[in-house]
Amino acid sequence: MNSQGSLSVSDESIARLLCDDSHVDEAIRLIMKKYGEQLYWHIRRMVVAHDDAEDCLQETMINVYKYRSTYSNEYPLSSWLYKIATNESLKLLKSRSGFTMSVDDLGDSLKDSVREEASPDADETLILLQEAIALLPAKQKMVFNLRYYDDKSYEEIHQIVGDSVNTLKTNYHYAVQKIKDYILEHQL
Amino acid sequence: MKDFDLESLSREMPYKMPEHFLDDMTERVVSQIGKQRKQHKERRIFALFAGAASVAAVALLFLHPFGNGLNIPDYDSISQCASVDEVLQTMSADDLGVYSMMSNYYGN
Repeated sequence: MNSQGSLSVSDESIARLLCDDSHVDEAIRLIMKKYGEQLYWHIRRMVVAHDDAEDCLQETMINVYKYRSTYSNEYPLSSWLYKIATNESLKLLKSRSGFTMSVDDLGDSLKDSVREEASPDADETLILLQEAIALLPAKQKMVFNLRYYDDKSYEEIHQIVGDSVNTLKTNYHYAVQKIKDYILEHQL
Repeated sequence: MKDFDLESLSREMPYKMPEHFLDDMTERVVSQIGKQRKQHKERRIFALFAGAASVAAVALLFLHPFGNGLNIPDYDSISQCASVDEVLQTMSADDLGVYSMMSNYYGN
């Protein structure tokens, strides 16, 4: 099946294939074709380094297979996938922060990775934006990325992150403010 | 006060995704899942055999040597015998061993 064909396959069909043992491989291929890129960038924006994003995406897909029976079609398949990807990203960041630090304390090291990982021809403002995002607390970072880059509604973000819509709106508002301040402060 | 319009920025990322990365990842995941399914199947077969072996072991315990497998004549055949000596003559050497052990235990 070509890439265009995969994109037109409905989430319901993919979910049905996923729960059918003889079609799991097909379901995984379809998910990767339809959502692989979105999931990769969602993870990458959280963990910054490509190698980490690679590990997280692989674990995400293995978990999709392992916990496929827990998927309920009352939520969109994409929300379920994003939730697993988000958890995997947080798990990796937690493993980096160790027992004494929280994930939010990783801001500076993630910010340093942004410049190391950036392409040589990358726009300076886009690098500054990623640095600002890297410095945000994990919750604000998740909400900002899902809204700003993935264009998710607050309802969808609620399905992924779990907080109330009002809390999410507050998180987004603070994130935007901090990002603007950072860019204004560091822009030449 | 200066402001910055975030909405005017491109949504592009300053990083690059390596070429063919998603295709390679798909194949790796499918292969990994295939291995996990195989292991799961093997574990189920092993559990099935282990369960069957346990049932067989329990059945053997009941059937031999404490159950019918023990060659001790039943009550009717004993009552028809003239004496305990005659019963003892019908028992095998192994059964006699068990009989003498039980006799000692019960103080007969």
